[in-house]
Amino acid sequence: MSPSLFERASAELSRARDGDGFGATPGSPPEPEPTALAAIALDDEAARRWLAGAQREDGSFGFRLADVDSAAATPLCALALPAGAARERALDHVVTHRAQTLRSDQAVPHDPSVAGWAWTLGTAGWVEPTASALLALRRLRPAASEAIADGVGYLRDRECVGGGWNYGNRVVLEEALPPFGQTTAMALIGLHGGSATDLIDRGVAALRRLWPAERGPLTLATSLAAFRLLGLPDADDVGSELADLLEREPTEDVVALAWAAIASGPGLAELAVAT
Amino acid sequence: MSQIDRRTFLKHLGLVATGATAVGVGLSLAGPEVLRRLRRPWDDEAFAPPGTPRVLVASVATYGAELERLVEDGLRELGADVSGRSVLLKPNLVEHDPGTVINTDPRLVAATALALRRLGAASVLVAEGPGHRRDTSYVLSASGFAEALRDVEVRFVDLNIAPVRRVVLRSRFTSLRELWLPEPVLDADIVVSMPKMKTHHWAGATLSLKNCFGCVPGRVYGWPKNALHWAGLQEAVVDVAAAVRPGLQIVDGVVGMEGNGPIDGTPVGAGVLVFGTDPVATDATAARLMGLDPGRMRYLRDAGRFLGQADLERIEQVGEDPGRSATPFALLPAFEHLRIGSTAAEREGTEGRV
Repeated sequence: MSPSLFERASAELSRARDGDGFGATPGSPPEPEPTALAAIALDDEAARRWLAGAQREDGSFGFRLADVDSAAATPLCALALPAGAARERALDHVVTHRAQTLRSDQAVPHDPSVAGWAWTLGTAGWVEPTASALLALRRLRPAASEAIADGVGYLRDRECVGGGWNYGNRVVLEEALPPFGQTTAMALIGLHGGSATDLIDRGVAALRRLWPAERGPLTLATSLAAFRLLGLPDADDVGSELADLLEREPTEDVVALAWAAIASGPGLAELAVAT
Repeated sequence: MSQIDRRTFLKHLGLVATGATAVGVGLSLAGPEVLRRLRRPWDDEAFAPPGTPRVLVASVATYGAELERLVEDGLRELGADVSGRSVLLKPNLVEHDPGTVINTDPRLVAATALALRRLGAASVLVAEGPGHRRDTSYVLSASGFAEALRDVEVRFVDLNIAPVRRVVLRSRFTSLRELWLPEPVLDADIVVSMPKMKTHHWAGATLSLKNCFGCVPGRVYGWPKNALHWAGLQEAVVDVAAAVRPGLQIVDGVVGMEGNGPIDGTPVGAGVLVFGTDPVATDATAARLMGLDPGRMRYLRDAGRFLGQADLERIEQVGEDPGRSATPFALLPAFEHLRIGSTAAEREGTEGRV
């Protein structure tokens, strides 16, 4: 992979830090998700230290406010933490906090027997948090077979007509909804190295169609990570486009920068699941 | 904000609520709607009683060169005072589909920014937190917003990743009680809600109140912001709008969306812009322009009890007559009960759906 892309992305990411951690935008107060991704991208001990201090008693990471508990960053934090008790507690939380299911009906048909993972605890499952949870469990706790099967089942159920994924609704009111590049890339990151090859193949075909039309930094960075994890040559074109984009239009989205640095650098190995 | 100063209001958001909920007697005999009416889930001192706001309906056929002057004239007619104030424009920017009209037209947003500058606004920025797409840069670019805003040198802020502060809600139609809201929204003197005039397959219509959902940050609430839907969509519309308090509204009905909105509907030329300073009055007027009875829209009924004026008889209508200018929007069968004069029954709720 082009060293210039990694150098650019990691340099910009390093400048975005606030103390030990990383916020959603450069210099803003640290938050779990960008700090976890930066820790992976930069192999950054300070970021891991910040994460260790931000872990909640129940093992999760996120925002909590009255009735809303956003713990969707917990799987990425588990991936960033070193082996040990803190990581295991984060994984325990992932395993035990799957989404709520809604009854299926004609308006939004789906399989209510698979839950996936939610953005906020106690609500419905969606593609991106499910993909993150699936990745963390498959890489770090492969014995969690029931939860892993649920995650794969969720992605199979929510696959768009013709392949790929959007945020998580396949059909609404009898309209088939189209897939998006970024969520398709995240689902492929969660599934790579696994046995759902039919899903992966259709997802790859969809992503090959989508990324050239959706040239935002987060879409390109996650697409690059997906193609590299799958060992596909498409990564070269996506990487070139992402390097050009970051040079032309610097982004303030630290999560996108971190994914760019992960996808183009050695941190990607921390997300790889052996076939 | 028309009734009390917005900064003063926001400064007091952190104060302990007084618990103004009133529960009447004989509830076991009452139906659900009566029960709803007996509850007063808001802090009276935070909301002035709805007055007699002015709403302007302007006939606008296209997004042409006259747009900036039309918007400036509309804001003057409304008596909007933006001089020396920081203004945040909040359009609908949800998705990109070249085949339809999901978003507020970027030409209208750019024209509004220019008009506000001419009227003396100290600063103008455009902000949105798209609800389905996490890659805001892509949506911004593909939708034409990036180019339109660059042309008029207006900054865009992605509310999904902007710094946030914790806000205690002064209305409690949901059980949310608190929200994380982006600092640019909380710090602006005036938030201008600029929705697309369109139908919504769970809420009936999405106008300036529902548009406030885009102020809620995705990195806390997700893509989609399902916690709001899970809390009760109609109720969440009221609570979020009561926290954001858009002090000005400009509804883009030049070309609206009918049918299966807010994403998969069909363009419909309604040929109007709706200007207001009271979001409830503005939405009630816009609903009427769509052929909908605002009295049948639950979130408008609730918002009309404390947040603004929903009674069309008490709204000073200027410009085009909303009755005569109406373009009845096609509705999904489930929302036929909202149509003016309809005898269809209301359907069950769709909580949790996105």
